[in-house]
Amino acid sequence: MTQLDDMRRALREADPRLSRFDPLPRIICLDDFDRGMCGWTQLVGNYEHSLDAMLPGYAQHSHAMLSTLPNWDFGSHGGVDGSYALKIATRPRKGAQNVAIKRLTFRKAGPIRIETYFTFKPEATALELSETDIRSFGFLYDLQVGDQHGAGGERVMPHLRFLNAENGVHLQKWQFKRKTTPIQPIGTAGKTITHYHLSPDDWEDLPGGGQRLCYNEIPTKVNWHYLRFDFDLASMQATGFQVNDRVFDLGSYEPIRIPAMKNLWCMLNIGFFAETDTDKRAFAYLDSVCLSGDF
Amino acid sequence: MLPENLTAIVARNETWTGACATEPYEAGWAKEAIVFVRALKTPKGPLPKARIELSADGMHWVPEGSEFDLPAGENAVTFQRLSHFGNFIRVAASLPPGSEITLLVALHLKA
Repeated sequence: MTQLDDMRRALREADPRLSRFDPLPRIICLDDFDRGMCGWTQLVGNYEHSLDAMLPGYAQHSHAMLSTLPNWDFGSHGGVDGSYALKIATRPRKGAQNVAIKRLTFRKAGPIRIETYFTFKPEATALELSETDIRSFGFLYDLQVGDQHGAGGERVMPHLRFLNAENGVHLQKWQFKRKTTPIQPIGTAGKTITHYHLSPDDWEDLPGGGQRLCYNEIPTKVNWHYLRFDFDLASMQATGFQVNDRVFDLGSYEPIRIPAMKNLWCMLNIGFFAETDTDKRAFAYLDSVCLSGDF
Repeated sequence: MLPENLTAIVARNETWTGACATEPYEAGWAKEAIVFVRALKTPKGPLPKARIELSADGMHWVPEGSEFDLPAGENAVTFQRLSHFGNFIRVAASLPPGSEITLLVALHLKA
């Protein structure tokens, strides 16, 4: 630890907005949704000439919202330290998904860290616990090497999801995926392609990735969870993953890897998503997100 | 800091027949809204008025009272101004049998 590290740590720990995060030296963004949308938007699918060209998986997406987590039985729940959280809501159809995304690029291919406080709950349409109504909550990066990388450069898409339940079975485990769907051209200009990296297929269990998260005792109460995921943009390998008090082994973790695309150099996109397992809306909430890097 | 100002696309390339509505959208932070509706294709059949609906919980809906035309031709746009709407809002319409419209619906919200 250098003097600079000590001073940085002291300043951060004295700042209530930052002391609940463990960021790397440089904070790329600290998104507290009490300040608004903070650059999080809808993941729209690719198209050319007509929106009909968009894959159905993307066509279902809608805009995230600023939510006070309002409930019919006790009113607004609020966030960790303010009134608002970012809400990602699916449609009320089994298997429906929705994604909120932030689109950046990186200035150094080195370590990055994403931290968030999150929770999830189904729409409280029934007076039952409904603990198996949410299929999953998850997140992804969409990354690509810089334009000077040379041959063999890749677009890399690390995915992790908490598979809460599937077909009504309460599974509660973290999964990753290393495969996407075949790449399809879009339109006629030869400039755009698409693939559905959030397809329900090809998820694999993270060894040791079972985790019983606090869910609370009726369908409207939530508790916030801490999540940290570390990734090295130089080696394009995951280096750390923690949720609440559990640190997971990423020894067998692999991201999706596909050849670099001609217009995505240095891309650094982050997405969070929700999936429902019933004909009921799934809600994922982010209280705040901190993205940091070592540069 | 400038007040929050958001354009949210709440329905994109959705084809409405029968009783339809946009997904519930929370806008409690906003003091005013304009709903824009654009027809992405030439609508079929007679079109009813669209209406704004409000909800306390996103599940139980009541008409706000505002009604406005759905766009009558491809790329035509209609809109409705809104204020004092609480939190959850949506756009709804009940199309008669045989009528159809493919929509882009944007909420423009300001704190």
